[in-house]
Amino acid sequence: MIYREAGQYKTTYDTDTQIFPIAQDRYAMLAILLIAFIVIPFVATPYIFSAILIPFLIFSLAALGLNILTGYAGQISLGTAAFMAVGAFASYNFMLRVPGMPILLAFILGGICAAMVGIAFGLPSLRIRGFYLAASTLATQFFVVWCLTKVPWFTNNSASGVITAQQIEILGFKFDSPQEKYLLVLGIVCVLALLAKNMVRSTVGRSWMAVRDMDVAAEVIGFRVMKTKLTAFAVSSFYCGIAGALFAYCYVGTVEPEAYNLDLSFRILFMVIIGGLGSILGSFFGAAFIVLLPIVLSMIVHVTGLPNSVTSNVELMVFGGLIIFFLIVEPHGLARLWQIGKEKLRLWPFPH
Amino acid sequence: MSDSAQRKIGDVILKADNVSLSFGGVKALTNISFDVREHEIRAIIGPNGAGKSSMLNVINGVYHPQEGTITYRGEQRKDMDTHAAAKSGIARTFQNIALFTGMSVLDNIMTGRNLKIKSTFVEQALWIGRARREEMENRRVVEEIIDFLQLQHVRKTPVARLPYGIKKRVELARALAAEPSMLLLDEPMAGMNVEEKQDMCRFVLDTNDQFGTTIVLIEHDMGVVMDISDRVAVLDYGKKIGDGTPDEVRSNPEVIKAYLGAH
Repeated sequence: MIYREAGQYKTTYDTDTQIFPIAQDRYAMLAILLIAFIVIPFVATPYIFSAILIPFLIFSLAALGLNILTGYAGQISLGTAAFMAVGAFASYNFMLRVPGMPILLAFILGGICAAMVGIAFGLPSLRIRGFYLAASTLATQFFVVWCLTKVPWFTNNSASGVITAQQIEILGFKFDSPQEKYLLVLGIVCVLALLAKNMVRSTVGRSWMAVRDMDVAAEVIGFRVMKTKLTAFAVSSFYCGIAGALFAYCYVGTVEPEAYNLDLSFRILFMVIIGGLGSILGSFFGAAFIVLLPIVLSMIVHVTGLPNSVTSNVELMVFGGLIIFFLIVEPHGLARLWQIGKEKLRLWPFPH
Repeated sequence: MSDSAQRKIGDVILKADNVSLSFGGVKALTNISFDVREHEIRAIIGPNGAGKSSMLNVINGVYHPQEGTITYRGEQRKDMDTHAAAKSGIARTFQNIALFTGMSVLDNIMTGRNLKIKSTFVEQALWIGRARREEMENRRVVEEIIDFLQLQHVRKTPVARLPYGIKKRVELARALAAEPSMLLLDEPMAGMNVEEKQDMCRFVLDTNDQFGTTIVLIEHDMGVVMDISDRVAVLDYGKKIGDGTPDEVRSNPEVIKAYLGAH
């Protein structure tokens, strides 16, 4: 099949602003969605669901959330895991304390709680930027985890500070098996990714990018910088909050506040940087790189038959090497590599 | 393009009275009064550091003067607020191009329409109803501006990849997208070759002529300034040393001494 757009005329602005303006991209996306929703549930094993696909999707969502804040709105944050924790523990408490609370509503409310925390901790961004802002978002990270550990109410007075996620049930249907949980996560991630794409192609997204690129000019043409930055913090934290709730309910099942530590924040930041700042697709690439590559590497290394002590170190070295390699080849991330590849493919096999 | 009806110079719409602006001990503007009439092309000239850009920044609220008042369309205030200025129809371009480099030309110009968009955040996220309709309507207006400024070929190019002259034009396009009644241009022709300058002059004159936009212009190219402007104000060391038609300014001895030099 040749990747050409010859003959695909766009006669309305509506068709020109589609998410996938090129027909081949639309078919490819449709195929991916069909495979993800219909084929994979039948062929994948429980191990693949719970160790690979579910974490990949959840981290993609968290990376997407951070990408909105850092990639689109230009505000660096090291508090991603904290927002995830707020989402998870808020959802848990809504489920626990409100009788008959529907789980999806609990997720959304958890996301909204995270958004409010995000707005509060986003306030410093109005005065400071760059590394200083990153340092101030560290406060979020430490404060939230400290708060969830020290106030027993949040963990329902659990002695160890560990919470066990409640049963997921939507309209009487119980999501128990990894396969069912996968479908739930996939559905939520697809909907939220679509919403994010819509945001970034309309005025709210342009306001984020305008503030990122040149805040004085953004103000002069009429954007309200304060509102724009806080909206970015709110939306980003909402996405992270939902991701955090899914992390607790669909991935680990039992979770303590310490699981959402600075290490996790950094992992998600790396996903965004490697995947591509300011790209929705890049969030998925980045999550795939960080989540899937170690698994693939460990499989490859184990085949060599070296002793375990060697393989685990080789794995980490290769992983680190690959991160550096990709950042040197394309500092703008895998999403940019993908884009360059597509542009080349449009001309292939001709040189110009 | 012949002189259209809009090209009649009207009443004073913007008036600065005794404006003084200082940064710490540095006096950027001292006791400046000046006015702009509707539909005219008003130039501000002067040597580097004379306070020309500061004057524009005071007009659209980036800087807040310590003394003096600004009257815009009958409303007198101590200083303008950038948002209020944008809302009341003042748009501007910057001396050092202030485009959003990570976005395409189209998106940059679309940002200029932001005040026309009424749809809510939720509507935009869902891409339904009003949000989608507004996006299309504004796109149509933006396409007209793209036609007007001949930017069709770079419509979807990221701004960072464009040459300097085109960037300046995109910045003008973004300002025009707001359909401003007053346009502040900070050195729109700086660093351009003759051909690009001619193009830019044409665009400025056409804007003034077709849309009746009032233009306040800072420019160093005296040929351009004397040719296209209706009135010229001359600043030097934050003080106004001359004001009037190009001919009056050209023969003002103080202006010749400070800026123009003897010919």
